[in-house]
Amino acid sequence: MNCLELRRMAILEPRQLDEVAFNHAEHCGACRDFLARTLQFESELIGALRVQVPAGAKERAVGAAIAPAAARAPRWIAIAAGFLLAVALGLAIAWPRNDPMALAGIDFVVYEEAQAILDAKPVDPEALQRVVAQLGIALPEQLGELRYVGPCPFAGTIAQHVVAKTAMGKVTLLLLPDRPLATRAVATARGLEAVITPAGRGSVAIIAGSPHNVERTEMLLKSS
Amino acid sequence: MLFERRKAAFEGAVDAYYDDLYRYAFWLCRNQWQAEDVVQEALSRAWRGWSGLREARALKSWLFTIVHHEFVRAVKRVRVASLESEVEDVASDLPTDPSSAIELRRALRILPEASRQALLLQVLGGFSCAEIGAMLGIREGAVMTRLTRARQALRRNLEPDEFGAEANQS
Repeated sequence: MNCLELRRMAILEPRQLDEVAFNHAEHCGACRDFLARTLQFESELIGALRVQVPAGAKERAVGAAIAPAAARAPRWIAIAAGFLLAVALGLAIAWPRNDPMALAGIDFVVYEEAQAILDAKPVDPEALQRVVAQLGIALPEQLGELRYVGPCPFAGTIAQHVVAKTAMGKVTLLLLPDRPLATRAVATARGLEAVITPAGRGSVAIIAGSPHNVERTEMLLKSS
Repeated sequence: MLFERRKAAFEGAVDAYYDDLYRYAFWLCRNQWQAEDVVQEALSRAWRGWSGLREARALKSWLFTIVHHEFVRAVKRVRVASLESEVEDVASDLPTDPSSAIELRRALRILPEASRQALLLQVLGGFSCAEIGAMLGIREGAVMTRLTRARQALRRNLEPDEFGAEANQS
């Protein structure tokens, strides 16, 4: 390396000078002085360029870069979440919930029906006919064989308690002439299905082992 | 989870390079507020493009390039020169002779744009001539010319007598 090459290199990339350059400078007084001044100048240049970074600038920049993006990123997440929420709400609304009265019908069948039959008073066919007429329903033959008919207390009133043996299993009817109902209500519990449906000025509770049997019974009752 | 990982990597990169990016922007804009805006906007762009970054090695030059592009965009929006006011007054991060720093900053301020950019990338970014060439879209030889001219011009401004003698010798 000669003096010219060293000086060119020192001016171009003073921080990249190699061993050969320093070896030359060791043996060349003029280049040694030149190199010392060049490195001194470079050090001053670095000092002048390395201005102080304003306090908090980095944090502000990161915050500004990520925050809107973070707000943007969840845009699609928010849409998806909104959609899921809407579906969940729809399901919650549409999902059949156990109506307390229908649930009471199931509890009656499970816990009280047997005792009610044991404690039954003699059947009063006229009372049954009266209630059936009052409710505007029918007890057609297709319903099945009526195994038990009798009044019994239910939900604070006296219901006509009917037990029928259908092709699809046992069905319990609770005819409630004094219990008006605005809308049909359902419940599912303890392996039983229950529907309470408005009928005339009262309502009828139908409790069976399958929804199909309940629906079929409901249809037959209203076939009059 | 993915967002958090990405965010952590981004914050790590900003942590490593913010100071140099800011200084680069400062010397391009020659104004503190403008520099902050440029870097902030550049980092926003970097964050948006973060998932597309394939080579971690290229991260530093990628960020410097974005800052440079953002500066060019800012120049089109505002007259940067009209904001220049504080180059000489800004404190240095290193212990320096205040008077020589002021002189040097004045000299840097009047350095031609092309030469200054190459010098900033070399001194602040630590990039090689080839890397600077790739970032500025010029040949390596052109970068070498700019760097040589930049240092010669600065020294000529600061040490006219001494530099004249040296130049004659070389």
